[in-house]
Amino acid sequence: MIVTRRWLEEFIDLEGIDNSTLYDTFNRIGLEVDRIESYAIPRGVVIGKIVACEKHPHADKLNVCQIDIGTAIKQIVCGAANVREAEYVAVATLGSTLPNGMSIKPVTLRGIESEGMVCSAGELGLPQAEDGIWILDESIGELEPGKELQTYTNINDTLIELELTANRGDCLSVYGVARDLSAGLGIKCKPFEYKQKERFLLGIGRKAEFHIEGEIHASVRYKLADIKRVNIGALVKLRLAFAQIEYKDNLDALLLYTTHATGVMLRCYDAEVFRMQEKFRVALRQTSTGKVEVLGKNNTAVSMLGAYQQADAKASEATQSVLFEAFYIEPEPLVAAISSEQIQTDALYYQSSRGSNPDLYFGTCYLTCLLDRYCQIEWYEGVLEHRCEIEQQKIVAGIDKLSQILGIKLEQRKVAQVLHALGFDVRRKDHDEMVITSPLFRHDIRNVHDIAEEIMRIIGIDAITSKPMRFQERMSQDDIVDRYYALRALRQRAISQGFFEHISYLFAPKAIHEKYQVVSLDSALELANPIAEELNTLRTTLAINLLSALKHNVNHTQKRIMLFEVGTVFDAQRNPSEKIAFLYSGYQEPEGVRNSGKPRAITFDVFVSVLQSILGPMSFCNTTPTNDLMHPYQSATAYRDQTVCGTLFKLHPKTAQDLGVFDTYIAEFDVDALLPSHINAQTISKFQGAYKDLSIVIDKTLSYDKVHAAIQQIKNPLIKRFYPIDIYEDRQLGEKKSLTIRFFIQSDTQTLEDAQIDATMKQVLHVLQESIDAQLR
Amino acid sequence: MQEQELKQLIHNATTLEALEQVRISLFGKKGILAQEFAKMKTIPNEEKKAFASWLNNLKATLQEAFEQKHAILSAQALEQQMQSEAIDVSLYGMLPLKGALHPVAATMDRIIDFFVSMNFSVKTGPLVEDDFHNFEALNLPKFHPARDMQDTFYFHDGMLLRTHTSPVQIRTMLAQKPPIRMIAPGAVFRRDYDLTHTPMFHQVEGLVVEEGDVVSFANLKWILTEFLHHMFGDVEVRFRPSFFPFTEPSAEVDISCIFCQGKGCRVCSKTGWLEVLGCGIVDPNVFEMVGYHHVSGYAFGLGVERFAMLLHQIGDLRSLFEGDIRLLEQFR
Repeated sequence: MIVTRRWLEEFIDLEGIDNSTLYDTFNRIGLEVDRIESYAIPRGVVIGKIVACEKHPHADKLNVCQIDIGTAIKQIVCGAANVREAEYVAVATLGSTLPNGMSIKPVTLRGIESEGMVCSAGELGLPQAEDGIWILDESIGELEPGKELQTYTNINDTLIELELTANRGDCLSVYGVARDLSAGLGIKCKPFEYKQKERFLLGIGRKAEFHIEGEIHASVRYKLADIKRVNIGALVKLRLAFAQIEYKDNLDALLLYTTHATGVMLRCYDAEVFRMQEKFRVALRQTSTGKVEVLGKNNTAVSMLGAYQQADAKASEATQSVLFEAFYIEPEPLVAAISSEQIQTDALYYQSSRGSNPDLYFGTCYLTCLLDRYCQIEWYEGVLEHRCEIEQQKIVAGIDKLSQILGIKLEQRKVAQVLHALGFDVRRKDHDEMVITSPLFRHDIRNVHDIAEEIMRIIGIDAITSKPMRFQERMSQDDIVDRYYALRALRQRAISQGFFEHISYLFAPKAIHEKYQVVSLDSALELANPIAEELNTLRTTLAINLLSALKHNVNHTQKRIMLFEVGTVFDAQRNPSEKIAFLYSGYQEPEGVRNSGKPRAITFDVFVSVLQSILGPMSFCNTTPTNDLMHPYQSATAYRDQTVCGTLFKLHPKTAQDLGVFDTYIAEFDVDALLPSHINAQTISKFQGAYKDLSIVIDKTLSYDKVHAAIQQIKNPLIKRFYPIDIYEDRQLGEKKSLTIRFFIQSDTQTLEDAQIDATMKQVLHVLQESIDAQLR
Repeated sequence: MQEQELKQLIHNATTLEALEQVRISLFGKKGILAQEFAKMKTIPNEEKKAFASWLNNLKATLQEAFEQKHAILSAQALEQQMQSEAIDVSLYGMLPLKGALHPVAATMDRIIDFFVSMNFSVKTGPLVEDDFHNFEALNLPKFHPARDMQDTFYFHDGMLLRTHTSPVQIRTMLAQKPPIRMIAPGAVFRRDYDLTHTPMFHQVEGLVVEEGDVVSFANLKWILTEFLHHMFGDVEVRFRPSFFPFTEPSAEVDISCIFCQGKGCRVCSKTGWLEVLGCGIVDPNVFEMVGYHHVSGYAFGLGVERFAMLLHQIGDLRSLFEGDIRLLEQFR
């Protein structure tokens, strides 16, 4: 909402209130100031009266004007076409400097001397009020050639742009803002003075009739006039430009100006759309869904209050008989009607649905004054009118409750005073309670909390001293906090291993999911209104977004990319789960002297050892790829304590080539499977243990996890731990390979004899021979 | 040989190996001294004493010379060895082996730390929400302007992506009785994508509910002022009345601009203030919806990206979601 200081002053006396006070007050009362900007026309720009204007002899587009600037008549060449219609203009005289830095000096333009410049509003540093030069008239003040423009207070104005919250429809007008400001400053609004014209064509009843069909929950007020010529003043143009309001023609401009000033909803009709023989017949109808329609000829709707108007029903400045309509309709029923029928609405809906000014008398009077001032217009006496009594909200509020909500001691008298200033009616019920009636324009006030907010706005939040709360001590921390801190520790370990934390959107491109055969959401559960094609589904894995970050980094010449992300992914049924994923791509260590600038590429063994430094020990099983991101021979299922915790794989070489990225490894784990579990310590054996290596020959295709499982199966308590230390293949071994396993053998109860150790190793060998057809090497 | 010559032999050795050879030739079993000692047998008895004394002196002198020399050469050898091990340590600095937390996640951590230390619990909730929890229960009736279809991501089955973390408050209140002291951190989604909006961002929302008329705006002011000092240090905090559907009275909270100390600059649009929070006293309609009676409470919410961008002077919101190492490595 844009207002200007001078425009506000139509409704409230701001003398002695400087702009910084205005700024503070607006912010204090909840009308947030987005922008406050003062405009001052530079010295040396004066009123000029054009006494003669002729075409330039050598240039089609230039005009040579003789302009009275009070002290002299100056010859000034002007390029704007509209200078020919102008009488009074703004002239930058010799020696002046315009806000864009241009200094005005005598010049010769195609052989004609020019001593000064006729200015557009934009050239004066103001918003561009009209195309070409700015044509001045008495609306800015008494015009006196040679008078400095900077002395015209109406146009040296301050613009204030307010960011209104959705509940403050009452402040969508200059008057509404002034009214709220008056409460904030403790200054009463000026009464609006309206003088009716004395001459009329006829009584409106002689020319028009009004019908109401059934019950109508809206108020309307119509005036009828014949218009001959519609002008608007320089000031109206300037203020509309300040407020960034665009208009179709002068009539439109005056209506928009009035609405912006008063907050009253206005439309104008070509009266002919209501023609029934000699008279204009205006009828209102309310539908079962709550729409209020204005009916024209043949009972067709020419408009719907608050929503739209048929284009051909709208009056233009060329229309002869114009019916002016002011209306008020309650926001809630309007919004419900519009939504239930999906009706296309025009600009008036925004304000109507947030609460327009119900004071239709004020709106029509303001408009009448404006039209009388700028136009040749003749009115029909009287109005056509329907008033709907809207029940005003009554709220019973206790002073104790209000004090409690805000946390300060309030007094009834002060509260009543504040509410009065805001237009509320307050009746004292007893020493605590008051009956508060809210004005119609504050349809947003519903309960005692709303009243508390009004009090807080006006007395200011600064008046509330902050206080720590007293509460019963009670432990608030629970499993979610524990989980959060465990995850945080995990993230810290990830970065200590060199990974960067990534956050990507929950979205991903469906096409990529499909391209690489990655599970995606069932179409019945898909996003209905995605914002872009590359964000048109929910991710089912963190891998795809990590790959897109990888590509971004490769494009920016990174050679070693380590990323991890914690986030939610979904399955086809849209069930969520929280994952942590790691991506390791390119060099396995940074370039440096230790690798002569040529580090090795990341390999599976380095990747899993880094992962285990972060996540703790886990074991891996070869797995069959479930999608085309996975390398068919380097894909694994990860286990922690014999439970599946995630998947890891080398990026499929074809996909890597597709994306133009290096060798890349990706792992994705269930966060829940990685959280620390409770541990009970085991007794440590006091007796000597021994290492024993066992080399066996097994099938080449047999994976180590089978061997491991077979040994585990023995459940011999003397085998404290065992692990593979060497794998060997050669031609001689053919379809076999040699595997060496190191065992640590130890007893909890005695120092072992060699025979016992040998027996244990024999047992192992025997089991391996039986279960996996192993041979001693 | 003369004593002097023998000493010269020791003296001439330039390496430990050469010295070892000298040692053997002097002190070895067949060395010069051994030969001299062997002469003892043939020397007449009366000269024996003088000879032995001379020979012992010679041995002692040579031994001393040898040890001195050995010490010198050992020291030299050690020095040489160490010199050969010399490293230009300056080659090995700045080895970029550590990664970094994402500035948004790290900011979130810092926010959570404050509230956990104030005995707030941390609550979570689903990202895919229903209309009731995301809107209706929060006093956002159907057709409310804030429910504009344009702002919300919907699914074909009528579910939606939560537009704020507030549904977690509703879920918590439906699941437990007051008192409540909680925050709900997490990702939220709005259908908006331009320079200053991303379709996903992060919020932290807080809620305190106590039985009876206990919680006041003054309490809200206190905790948020403390919190903003924790996050931004010594800044001024300003509360401005505002409007949110689920709180009443509501306020927006500004801090004095941390870039210009409130003098007015580009970041604060010359106002000297930066808007950082929204808050208010919980609207009784919200309590009504979850079946709470005779309670009072406050709520607040903030955008984590905004905090991170202000704290670390990050100019481009969208860069936070690209995983660009050039940005992330600055936070090592």
